[in-house]
Amino acid sequence: MQQAKPKPGILDKRAEIIAGLQAILPERAVIGDNISLKPYETDGLSAYKQMPLAVVLPETEAHVVAIMKFCNLHGVRVIPRGAGTSLSGGALPMADAVVIGMMRMNKILDINYADRYAVVQPGVTNIAITQAVQDEQFFYAPDPSSQLACMIGGNVSMNSGGAHCLKYGVTANNLLGLRIVTIEGEILEIGGKQMDAAGYDWLGLITGSEGQLGILTEVTVRILRSPEGARAMLAGFASNEVAGQCVDAIISSGIIPVALEFMDKPAIHACEDFAHAGYPLDAEALLIIEVEGSETEQSEMLARIRDICAAYHPVSMRVSQTAEESAAIWKGRKGAFGAVGRISPDYLCMDGTIPTSELPNVLKRIQAMSDEYGLKVANIFHAGDGNLHPLIMFDANDAESFHKAEAFGADILKLCVEVGGCLTGEHGVGIEKRDLMSVQFTPSELDQQRRIKSAFDPAWLLNPSKVFPLSGLAAAE
Amino acid sequence: MMSPDTEDALAEIIRTASGPLLVQGNGTKAGMLRPVQASATISTANVAGITLYAPNELVMSAKSGTRLVEIEAALAKAGQQMICEPPHIHGENQTIGGIVGSNLSGPRRVTGGAMRDHVLGVRAVNGNGEILKFGGRVLKNVTGLDVGKLLTGSFGTLAVMTEITFKVLPVSEATGTVVLSGLDAVRGVAALSAGLGSPFSVSGAAYLPHEKKVFLRIEDFASSVKYRTEKLASQLAEFGAAAILDTDASKIFWRDVRDCKFLDDAPAMWRLSVVPSAGPAILAALAPLGVTGFLDWGGGLVNLSGPANEATHQAVCDAARAVGGMWWLMRAPDPLRTAVDVVPPEPPALAAIRARVQASFDPRGILNPGRLRAA
Amino acid sequence: MQTNFTAAQLEKPEIAVANNILRTCVHCGMCTATCPTFVTIGDELDSPRGRIYLIKDMLENDRAASQEEVLHLDRCLSCLSCMTTCPSGVDYMHLVDHARVHVNETYQRPLTDRLLRGVLAQILPYPKRMRAALNLARLAKPFAFLLPGESMLIKRMRAMLNLAPAKMPAPQSLGGTVHKAIGRHNGRVALLAGCAQQAIGPSINTATIELLNRLGIEVVIPEAAGCCGALVHHMGRHDEALEAAKRNVNAWSDGAEYDAIIVNTSGCGTVLKDYGFMLRDDAMAAKAAAVSAKTMDISEYLLKIYEPTSVPPDITVAYHAACSLQHGQKITAAPKTLLRKAGFKVVEPKDPHLCCGSAGTYNIMQPDIAASLRRRKLDTLKAKSPDVIAAGNIGCLTQLAGDGIPTVHMVELLNWMAGGPKPAALNGV
Ligand SMILES: Cc1cc2nc3c(=O)[nH]c(=O)nc-3n(C[C@H](O)[C@H](O)[C@H](O)COP(=O)(O)OP(=O)(O)OC[C@H]3O[C@@H](n4cnc5c(N)ncnc54)[C@H](O)[C@@H]3O)c2cc1C
Ligand code: SF4
Ligand code: SF4
Repeated sequence: MQQAKPKPGILDKRAEIIAGLQAILPERAVIGDNISLKPYETDGLSAYKQMPLAVVLPETEAHVVAIMKFCNLHGVRVIPRGAGTSLSGGALPMADAVVIGMMRMNKILDINYADRYAVVQPGVTNIAITQAVQDEQFFYAPDPSSQLACMIGGNVSMNSGGAHCLKYGVTANNLLGLRIVTIEGEILEIGGKQMDAAGYDWLGLITGSEGQLGILTEVTVRILRSPEGARAMLAGFASNEVAGQCVDAIISSGIIPVALEFMDKPAIHACEDFAHAGYPLDAEALLIIEVEGSETEQSEMLARIRDICAAYHPVSMRVSQTAEESAAIWKGRKGAFGAVGRISPDYLCMDGTIPTSELPNVLKRIQAMSDEYGLKVANIFHAGDGNLHPLIMFDANDAESFHKAEAFGADILKLCVEVGGCLTGEHGVGIEKRDLMSVQFTPSELDQQRRIKSAFDPAWLLNPSKVFPLSGLAAAE
Repeated sequence: MMSPDTEDALAEIIRTASGPLLVQGNGTKAGMLRPVQASATISTANVAGITLYAPNELVMSAKSGTRLVEIEAALAKAGQQMICEPPHIHGENQTIGGIVGSNLSGPRRVTGGAMRDHVLGVRAVNGNGEILKFGGRVLKNVTGLDVGKLLTGSFGTLAVMTEITFKVLPVSEATGTVVLSGLDAVRGVAALSAGLGSPFSVSGAAYLPHEKKVFLRIEDFASSVKYRTEKLASQLAEFGAAAILDTDASKIFWRDVRDCKFLDDAPAMWRLSVVPSAGPAILAALAPLGVTGFLDWGGGLVNLSGPANEATHQAVCDAARAVGGMWWLMRAPDPLRTAVDVVPPEPPALAAIRARVQASFDPRGILNPGRLRAA
Repeated sequence: MQTNFTAAQLEKPEIAVANNILRTCVHCGMCTATCPTFVTIGDELDSPRGRIYLIKDMLENDRAASQEEVLHLDRCLSCLSCMTTCPSGVDYMHLVDHARVHVNETYQRPLTDRLLRGVLAQILPYPKRMRAALNLARLAKPFAFLLPGESMLIKRMRAMLNLAPAKMPAPQSLGGTVHKAIGRHNGRVALLAGCAQQAIGPSINTATIELLNRLGIEVVIPEAAGCCGALVHHMGRHDEALEAAKRNVNAWSDGAEYDAIIVNTSGCGTVLKDYGFMLRDDAMAAKAAAVSAKTMDISEYLLKIYEPTSVPPDITVAYHAACSLQHGQKITAAPKTLLRKAGFKVVEPKDPHLCCGSAGTYNIMQPDIAASLRRRKLDTLKAKSPDVIAAGNIGCLTQLAGDGIPTVHMVELLNWMAGGPKPAALNGV
């Protein structure tokens, strides 16, 4: 992947820049030696690497303001970083950029059950919010599979989703307010603790903006009361087509389960090896369907769903009987990426979205590409909302294998756009899909977006070289 | 007034416009926020029609001039509905473009999300006359900046939307409403909070001060509605005995909440969005000024009406500001709407960015100038 | 994840092993969240993924360890929480073990550091020396506050003094003893008596032996068996560690037949279970593997045979999961099951996966991080209002002692409910 050219003069001033940052930050908040910088050269997409100029680890919003003012003054690029789990290379450094690691800002500032919100710093992990409120039977709804590690600042920046967002929505639907520091070092308060905000929907614009508009320093999220209970069922089918038809039938019947997940055969096998959840190994496709409510409600709803599934001649159908069984079912699904890591040294995780009716067709064409490229692929699909994760297996120590994997991935995403979908449903554009943006957008659509970025970041110092094809950065400079 | 039939024609008009344009659908919201000074009016009324409806994928696309009632009828035929229950406070002529442009949501917003949460894609023409599309027809999409959300609620000041794709959901099999009586506003909101903090997926939570009554809605399968309303009523026993409205009665009641039927016909009307627990104090503070209203969204949406004058408006703004909340002036005579902040003013840093963003869409400043804020 | 080793490098067996481990890591970052040092310090370099990356770079470039790498490797508690979390099954333990050997071989530590490590390596594994040292420390303890300044050395010395118990228990020397089963004969086991444990926690061995005997199990402590080698192993002193391993493997394979080798200090248990790997290229490989296979934590062993005989008192036990048990040996349920079976009310702290900061000599070498982890653990334990804190590892018990709640080894509680004496620590309860 091509990196943007370093800004002239910045690399030469490296020592000065590091000293300047040290002067405004506490001890051990600036990392400037090449050995220590190495682990920061990549994120959850480890196929791409780039050493940064320096890393800073602010502990307060005031530190962030100071860093931004300093970098703006000296024309230094900045790359925000949360937990570094991005699968699109969103936190990949640049040679002339300072990485701002937000993980030290990890405090929960306020929890209000009556008004149902929590105010947290960006370095709080997704799951920590739920853990902080679960004794009162509340939870924070968006549940990316990486929820143990990924941080709310990263979630907001990527507008992350999860298996349960079919019912509860993605990050954008669960936010009330933000504090964000602009490249000029100004603090903006966006939204608040109430539901609607007047004026433009800055909250909506900033969510999913991948660190292009400012550094988040505080996030106010909605917290919800947990349902009385939840139960998952498994239904295995003889083909992807039938499983797809069954998904259609469930939705058409007026039932919206809390989660509706699909796995193809290779994914079923990889996950079963890891989680021992009792996935049907003889099925070509598996649906994991979860419903919520009281015991009786769960049973009634599952009975309806079973009736629908039965019409599609499932090869197996099983309703989880205990909390442990449900946990194992989700462990397999949520650990899917890692599980693939057990059977292949490396994988690229694609993240296109397609109209759900296109699933059988798309899977068939992915299989054909897989044969053509000679690389295996496992498919995991948020069937309720059309978000498809093909996991392309390759060997990173073999350059040709990697290039094939990249090309295969690009072909899949183009296919997603061709059938009426989009490049990314939840992982973001990052650096990975940057050059494919022109497949989905016309030049004027891209220009309009770039102009919005320029309104926040006139000199394009914030995470440039991501999201937009490099020509955008060149034009801005 | 220009009412082009196609997106292309609409784009051409904007491209060649020589001065400010009043942008509207059927103009039902002209009395809301600030009046626009423009030499010409452009309407999307004729760029109309449903272009895609895939019930099993929960999506619909419609051109922006399509009337909301038409969309609702098409959805109802397939047993589906708009998730955020857009209010019909401006009559039956409003277009989907108008609803999205003003981001108006009804009672279900409290748990189901606002109009902005369900916009999946838009086609729009910016101030340069460029036809742009953002988002798409799929439920999950984070490709590029979310311009669709930015346009939602922008009142036609950035671009003129020509087509909108949004998420829809099935109509529930049944609806029930738990009604608690004899509660003052503070106790009432406490009851709403308890209901929204219950595990029963309350989808509407309103308080009517003049009746001293709390209303909590459940929408689900018939058996679940029965179970949940009863369970909820018993969990809220500390707030007194509950009555339960059946599906038909519930539908009528919540339609009235949605359409603000509980407001006086006073000359000015406001909508305040605040933290739910702040609702009662606002009602109390404004009542002496002849400003009355009711609470929705668990107490977080304060619908008000009262005398139209600057002092009263100022008091309403102050009440909202005191709790960090937002306001919209929904109705008032033109002179008042021109003179005051119809929405909260922005801090300078944000105002500068907003001006640049606005210019990035509409460099000539011709789209609905002054609609949200004095230019 | 991609690695860059040359064919020549990969010919070295340790590098080949390291390469395999590195290749299973997909750099997903899940492990960072449950790593005590990342949670405390908030720097990728103090996370498992960061350490893996530091190690990778150091090994790939065949570079002598530098101050930076050593800083972050030293801060690793070897708690292995990361291995529990990792969905890809990355064998962090053997990677960091190898890295520590590399550090030991290629890095010249500052003089004071070297001296301290040398002293610890010469004292802790030997019960008699340990006792003598603790007696000295106990005398010096009241004067700890006189140590001037906040330099790392001073902090470490203060930490060391603070670990010394106020009262020294009577000496214990179990080497070469055999303890016959009482009444019936159901089996025969070897017990690792532990080194530090004999000096500061003799009641744990006593309770273990009594309990096993009463359950019909004969307990043998061969003369030749000694320290398990964990301490030097974690310092990267490879040769000394292997020496300890060989001595013990021989001691337990001298012909006597044991049903199991029982460990009641879980920190040692993890190492015993790894002898097979440590000696994989040695002539003793098969014997070592057999010893590892026979090694059982006391809780694992008791699970099938434990029967309480006393009426339980109304006591709430907060179970603190030692990392070596929960992560190192993946034993999570057994201790709790046993304590419940004995009739206690068992509670667990929030974030049970996080280390208490004890971790061998960690609380001496990294006093600041250890103190903050200790505080966090004690706060979360106390939040559950327990009468007593129980764990399966002497290191944790020492680390958590002295904050108002008695700490006991869970085997002491089990023994009590099976006819043994009430643990002395519980006298006030
Ligand atoms: C195993 C695995 C499973 C995953 N599953 C899912 C899933 O189910 N759903 C899903 O949506 N994603 C998933 N992801 C992707 C990833 O976890 C999410 O994108 C997550 O939100 C990233 O959070 P992070 O804290 O790691 O952010 P990072 O990766 O560090 O950063 C992500 C982006 O946010 C920016 N950023 C971070 N913090 C800030 C801040 N404070 N201010 C401004 N910008 C900031 C960065 O510049 C970058 O562009 C998965 C990843 C992995 C490795
Ligand atoms: S969890 Fe496992 S695979 Fe992921 S970064 Fe950590 S060690 Fe590597
Ligand atoms: S062993 Fe413990 S301290 Fe070391 S990296 Fe793993 S989790 Fe962190």
